[in-house]
Amino acid sequence: MKSIFSFLILFLWIQNLGFAQTILSGKVLDEKNQPLPGVNVFLKGTFDGASTDQNGSFQFETTESGTQLLAFSMLGFKSQEVVVELSAKTLEIPSLILKEEFNELNTVTISAGAMEASDEKKSVILRPIDIVTTPSAMGDIVGAFQTLPGTSTVGNDGRLFVRGGDASEVGIFIDGLRVGNAYGTTAGNVPTRTRFNPNLFKGTFFSTGGYSAEFGQALSSALALNTKDLAKRNQGDLSIMSVGGGYSHTLANDKRSITISGNIFDLKPYQAIIKQDFDWERAPFGRDLELAAQQKTAKGGLWKVLARTEAGGMQLWQPQPGESSRGMLIHLKNTYSYAQTNWRNGYENGWSLFGGISYSQNKDVLSLGGLDLERKSQLTHAKWTAGYDFSDRLSVKNGVEYFRNEYSEVLTKENLERTFEENQGYLFTEWDWYLSRKLVLRSGLRAGVSTLANEKWLDPRTSLAYKISENGTLSLAAGRFHQLPEERFRVLNPNLKNTESKHLLLNYLYQKEGKTFRAEAFHKSYDQLVRFEENLQNPQNVRNEGEGFARGFDVFFRDRESLKNTDYWITYSFVYSKRSYFQYTGQVQPDFAPKHNLSVVVKHFVPNLKSQLGLSWSFNDGLSYTDPNQPGEMNSKTGSFQNLSLSWSYLPRPNLIIHGAVTNVTGHQNIFGYQFAQAPNEQGRFESIPLGQGAPRFLFLGIFFTISKDKNANNLNNL
Amino acid sequence: MKKSLFTLALAFAFVFSAFANDPAYESAMKKQIQAMKTIQNPEQSQAVANGFLRIAEVKNTEWLPLYYAAYLKTIAAFRFEVNKDQYFDQAMELAKKAEKIAPNHSEITALQGFITMGKLSVDPMSRGQELSGQAMQLFGKAIALDRENPRAVTMMAQMEQGMAQFFGQGPEKACGLARTGLELFAKEEAKVTEDYLLPTWGKREAEQVAGACK
Repeated sequence: MKSIFSFLILFLWIQNLGFAQTILSGKVLDEKNQPLPGVNVFLKGTFDGASTDQNGSFQFETTESGTQLLAFSMLGFKSQEVVVELSAKTLEIPSLILKEEFNELNTVTISAGAMEASDEKKSVILRPIDIVTTPSAMGDIVGAFQTLPGTSTVGNDGRLFVRGGDASEVGIFIDGLRVGNAYGTTAGNVPTRTRFNPNLFKGTFFSTGGYSAEFGQALSSALALNTKDLAKRNQGDLSIMSVGGGYSHTLANDKRSITISGNIFDLKPYQAIIKQDFDWERAPFGRDLELAAQQKTAKGGLWKVLARTEAGGMQLWQPQPGESSRGMLIHLKNTYSYAQTNWRNGYENGWSLFGGISYSQNKDVLSLGGLDLERKSQLTHAKWTAGYDFSDRLSVKNGVEYFRNEYSEVLTKENLERTFEENQGYLFTEWDWYLSRKLVLRSGLRAGVSTLANEKWLDPRTSLAYKISENGTLSLAAGRFHQLPEERFRVLNPNLKNTESKHLLLNYLYQKEGKTFRAEAFHKSYDQLVRFEENLQNPQNVRNEGEGFARGFDVFFRDRESLKNTDYWITYSFVYSKRSYFQYTGQVQPDFAPKHNLSVVVKHFVPNLKSQLGLSWSFNDGLSYTDPNQPGEMNSKTGSFQNLSLSWSYLPRPNLIIHGAVTNVTGHQNIFGYQFAQAPNEQGRFESIPLGQGAPRFLFLGIFFTISKDKNANNLNNL
Repeated sequence: MKKSLFTLALAFAFVFSAFANDPAYESAMKKQIQAMKTIQNPEQSQAVANGFLRIAEVKNTEWLPLYYAAYLKTIAAFRFEVNKDQYFDQAMELAKKAEKIAPNHSEITALQGFITMGKLSVDPMSRGQELSGQAMQLFGKAIALDRENPRAVTMMAQMEQGMAQFFGQGPEKACGLARTGLELFAKEEAKVTEDYLLPTWGKREAEQVAGACK
């Protein structure tokens, strides 16, 4: 009986199967009503389905019956489901349109003012590895950025000058947190470097204007450096260089990693061999200790710690115009510490959170020909941001920030002290709205308050990007930026208010595999700049009174494809800038803003030699200066600046790199200005001394050796 | 209470074993694995990958359909004129999904290494330093998880061969690995029956590396 029953059921089921076979067919289109091939069409919960063909059509048979869900899915598109009633033999589904999801690859990116260095992102101009392989950079982050559009090389300063702005107008951030005194303290005309090693960072974001409401206290530019995530392996890195050496050790597992490194540098042995034009009493020297740690936290978060401490100094005789003696002895000692910790996490529900705090402390002990001075600066920055994606079209980032800044200057012998203390608070919000895949609007607002300046201010910023072709994007950005004057002026007049600038930029970016072309035109206005009487050594009546502008354009072309094993980029920046600032009564071209700036970088890989050869050439048409023997201010211009640098990196073994580089190979006589005597001589002329280079050339030789169980690890792997 | 828990566990065990020996699943997989062998263009590749994804949709505890879909994306990026970066990224996305179902699986880890090699090949000059290390690490992990995985050993041999060529070193290490790979493939072939669903690809690559050793 039971078996008959089973048989009946089976029979009925087969019957049912035979009768209820349905052929489903239909067509899938994209948003432009074009056929969409490759879409997976299937009945939910079954294996029955098919892919759409070249015409967007699909057809398949099913033995299912009744009410079913028909699903349409394809990677990169929003899935859809349709309720179908399977009863007839054939079922024609009405044409269906699948919408593409907005993602980084198919959606426009705002490129105005922004240049990214990363291996991950698409809108990349410079890669992390370029920082160490650009010959003129000598391993300095900022040195590499000086080959990018919108920057000028000021050879006796070394810092980053962006579009007619002075070096203090560039804000430097690590993981979104401000770095105080990011450059090493220097004296005389000795160019400085960034304190931080490029090995620490996985990517950088460099903006030459119109940047996000997330960044403040920077009139011209924001340079955001992002530290690396979890280290991959245990390893030791040893470096022996013509200017010093160091060792770094990394311990890593799946959850956490820590790197501790120590370096010393001393130019004394180098200067004993290579003749210097500067009159050194003690060559620059220094030592540093650094710790970087990363730890994965619950639910996909990452917690990072970075700490660094360093000490160094130099002693230099600076000749004085009209005097035959060695001149004035400058003695400098510097100690610096930086520590920060941050945590970030992105959640699947659309939230992303970030919290961090940083502390910078800089102390300079200076002796300038008998005048003893001690400067101390402390900066604390705390920041909390929360981002939320409402959809793939609308997202917001909100943040709150707090800064505390303490500064003091002491004349040791005279026992005179001046100080200030400052608290700042900020709120910002920024909204990204994709009106379509081709058009994005970003609007932000930044509000700030300063206790010392007793001032509140509001900075609106906005940018718009439109994808005009498959590879081309047009962007427009505008915004207002505030920055409180440099500490050395605020300590003289604590009532100084914010300086202010407004940016307007138009950018065109063309990117195709291996090729990048970028052109940008800009206008920037300045207001409330610092002015004073007398001169920079002795400023009197310091006040917010200066104004000015900078306008121009820059072009950038990079090609990694056309020539075999060769990567090159060419940059030209034109800046026309005038401002009334410092002691200058009228609007003048500042001495840090050359009009024409050109740079070329070429890297060529020679497989047979296991080597990479590098060349970089920078040019600008000279810096303005005031010649007191002639009427007017900023009435003269130095000769052109030229620097041709070459480098050779050799990898004989996977864990060994030998790197050599020479700057200014041609020995071009670069003059950055003139130092004039305070008073005229007997003939009524102001005598002068040209401000030149420390030596015609700089030679670097380094050996980098990696010890690891993984034999293929080397120093470059860290980048 | 104890008893009912036991029953529940038993019921679960039953359900899972039913899944494992699901004839519909097996025949669907076999159909797609057969179809893999006839792929001639990116459209056919997409159609077979979609077949695997349909299976993955129903059998959301099986890593294998996702593995094959990721593998097909990877192979398509190497073979055909497509947007390689996008294909490799999608392949990695699928491989990561498979990894969630079966963490620390040698085959999935090896495939992730293979995809990383693909990403590297798109722009060796700027990605080489970063990604070669990552790929080596993944292959190393895959071998550590299963010393008998011929694909992990073979791809490690390929990487070693590339490194040896670049640095002008001897091919001994690569050749040794390739030989081991071939032995493991022979072992694997002995296991393969008509119902075998697990990955079997990679022998040709091992032969290529070994071929350069004579």
